[in-house]
Order: sequence, then C-alpha cells, then structure tokens
Amino acid sequence: MSTITIERLRKTYGAYVAVDDFSVTIPEGTVFGLLGPNGAGKTTTFKCMLGLARPTSGTILYGGSPLVPETFQRIAYVPEKSVLYEWMTVAEHVEMQRRTFRSFSVKQAQDLLEQFGIHLRKKARALSKGMRTATQVALAVARQSDVLILDEPTSGLDPINQRNVLNLIINEASRGATVIFSSHQIGQVERAAETIAVIDRGRLALQGSVDDLKSDRKVVEGIFPSEAFALDGIASDPRIGRIDVSGRIVRLLVTGGADEFAGKLDALGAGGVRVVDLNLEDIFLYAVAPSRATADVVEESPK
Amino acid sequence: MPAVLTVDPRSGVPIYLQVIEQVKRSVALGILQAGEQLPTVKQLALDLTINPNTVAKAYRELERDGVIETAAGRGSFVRTNGSVESMKAAASDVARDAFESVVREAKSIGLNADDIRNLTNAAIDRWFQERQ
Repeated sequence: MSTITIERLRKTYGAYVAVDDFSVTIPEGTVFGLLGPNGAGKTTTFKCMLGLARPTSGTILYGGSPLVPETFQRIAYVPEKSVLYEWMTVAEHVEMQRRTFRSFSVKQAQDLLEQFGIHLRKKARALSKGMRTATQVALAVARQSDVLILDEPTSGLDPINQRNVLNLIINEASRGATVIFSSHQIGQVERAAETIAVIDRGRLALQGSVDDLKSDRKVVEGIFPSEAFALDGIASDPRIGRIDVSGRIVRLLVTGGADEFAGKLDALGAGGVRVVDLNLEDIFLYAVAPSRATADVVEESPK
Repeated sequence: MPAVLTVDPRSGVPIYLQVIEQVKRSVALGILQAGEQLPTVKQLALDLTINPNTVAKAYRELERDGVIETAAGRGSFVRTNGSVESMKAAASDVARDAFESVVREAKSIGLNADDIRNLTNAAIDRWFQERQ
C-alpha cells in the first residue's frame, strides 16, 4: 500500500479548529506513534485518514492516491471508544467480521481472544473497558490488513495485556504492515514506534524517529561562578530551543551539537558542565508543556 | 541468548545503541561466542518488546563493525572469521565509551588533567596488581 502522506490537513467543526496545517509522512512497514495531550486532534486526524471525517482542507494520500473503497478495505481501525454491539456476543462479532472482510482469519481472532482471556460466548455489554479494547484489537489484527490504525489500543488494559498488544503491534510490523497508534503511555510509544509525531492544539509540534530525537535532543547544563554571566555567541544559535536560567545554573535545550555547546559553556567559565540525555517523555514535555519540563523558565535569554 | 540482552526504552540513550553496546559487551566477555547464532530480528524485537526496525538497524551496524555476519536466509552469527580482532575491537569500543564518560564526569566536577591521570594510574596499578 506504500507510503501514507498527510499534507496540510485542516479540520474545523464550526468555529473550532481541531486540526490545523498538519503534515506527516509515514513510510510503509513502519510503526508510527501519534502523541498529544487530550483534545489535541489525534482522533480527528485518524478519522480524516479513514474517510470518517471530511478534511476541511489538505490531502491524505495512500501511495500517492486518495482514499478509495479498495484502500479502505485494507485498513483496520480500532477507535478509542468501543464500537462493539452491546447485545452481540464476542463470537458473533467474529462471525460478522468474517462475513465482512475476505482476509479475516477466524483462527487468528480466536487465538488472540484466548490470549487476552476473553470468552467467545460473552456479550459485549458484559465486557470491561479493557476487554472491549482487547476484543477490538484482536478483531482488527485478525483482518491481516496492510494498515492498522489504533486509537489508544492499550487503554484500560492490565500491564500483561498491554504488553500483549505491544507485541501484536511488533508482530504486525514484522510482517510488513504499517501500524499507526496513539497512546498516552509514552513508554509504550518509546518501545514500539520507530517514528513519532507530537500534535498539540491541532498543530504539529514535533516529528522524527525516536532514535534521532534521542540522539539529537539534549540538555546541556553548566554552573557559573556568579549570577552575572553572559552567553555570548550561544544565545542566538538556532540549534538552541530554550534557555532556562535558575540563579547560577543555566540549561540549554539543544538539537544537535550538545558536545560543542558543552565546550562553549566550559569556555565561558561555567563549571560542572554536563550533557543530559532526554527520554521521549522529556522530549514530549518540552514540545507541548515547556513549563512542566523545567522548574524555572525565562522568556528572554540573559545578557 | 535473549536473556543476555536487556534494554531500557525509557533511557535517553537510543534503543538501537543499547542493543549494539550489549552485543559488543557480550562478545567481549565471551557470553556470545564466535559462530553463535543471534535471534532473528523479529524474535529479538518480540523478546525485548521493541520495534523490529530498531533491531534491524542495530544488526546492520554490528555487521558493519565486523562483530556479526548475516548469511542470507540463515540468520545472523557472531563472526568467526577474524573474530579475535572483532572481539578486541568490540571490547575496546565498550571500554572507550565507559572511559569517555568517566573523564567527562571528572572534568565537570572540577578535576584537572593531572588529577584525572593520577586517578587513572592508581586504578590501573590496583587492578593489574591484584591479577598477579
């Protein structure tokens, strides 16, 4: 099915702008994690990708072509909210999927449901939130589709079944499927995703491969002898995303060149210079809620 | 073999670098022996619950560094051909990285080059004496 390209997607509901100027490229056979605070536009983006919501403007292309019914048939989707029929049993849902999708594997669905500990004879209304999520993930994976779009596929699950879902994602990627998923549990995205995008208030805040983001984004910290110090030749460098000052301590959020900036702080007279690695949660917080990422924030860099 | 490797996905160190470092370390320590087969990309990805392309990237770099070799259709193996050299190289890679961070740390605390040399010599003396 090849690369999925979202170009300048915009979706408004009346005066409310849900997604604005959002562009990402998702290569075939990769696991893509979409991160963002509540209400940031993740679900709206998924709905637009599936043709369940019509973009106000912008395009979504599958291998260079707009979504057509044949493409839609090869995309499996797990929505954040359960779409199971309350009065139907799990077995009846399996049967319904079998009749709807030619590629659906009843055997795989049954195996996965058993793995999750879900009884086929149970009615959907008798399933907990987590079990509903797991049922939908099992039904989606058993479709053996080219693209899986999973909106919060681990919500409500216990840690064992969360791990089961992550391993399903990894398994799907191993057979060449493209998996796109969102999760509030950044640690899960950190494990399973190869590339990520952060969406914040409808806009793209950050994107890249998890490995590259971790390699490039560092905090460089130094302690000056007194509070009167200058950051000559540093403050205006475009690789610096933020400068936080707390008394004599200065922290630079840099993208690339961490060792070089460490050397510069050293040359300016700072002691205790160190380069701090950032995990995905740190990187996420710096992108969407900088005030939560560090205690002291200054708008202007000190002169 | 999978039991040999563990990764910390929440660390700020990219996962593929953690895999590379651990395989090199295992080769250097002889936990992984020349000719020994590594898990498939898919198997290691599932064992560690990490992205398969991340594992594939680590294997590619390990191959480029001469630590492992991949036979089409048969899997990846610790190199037998020239394995003494690759083991030594792998060992010194691991040691150099560890050394680098120790020196950086010592410098940032405020030690000068002579202080660090003295500490290094003292450590060498102690460890090599004990082995005799």
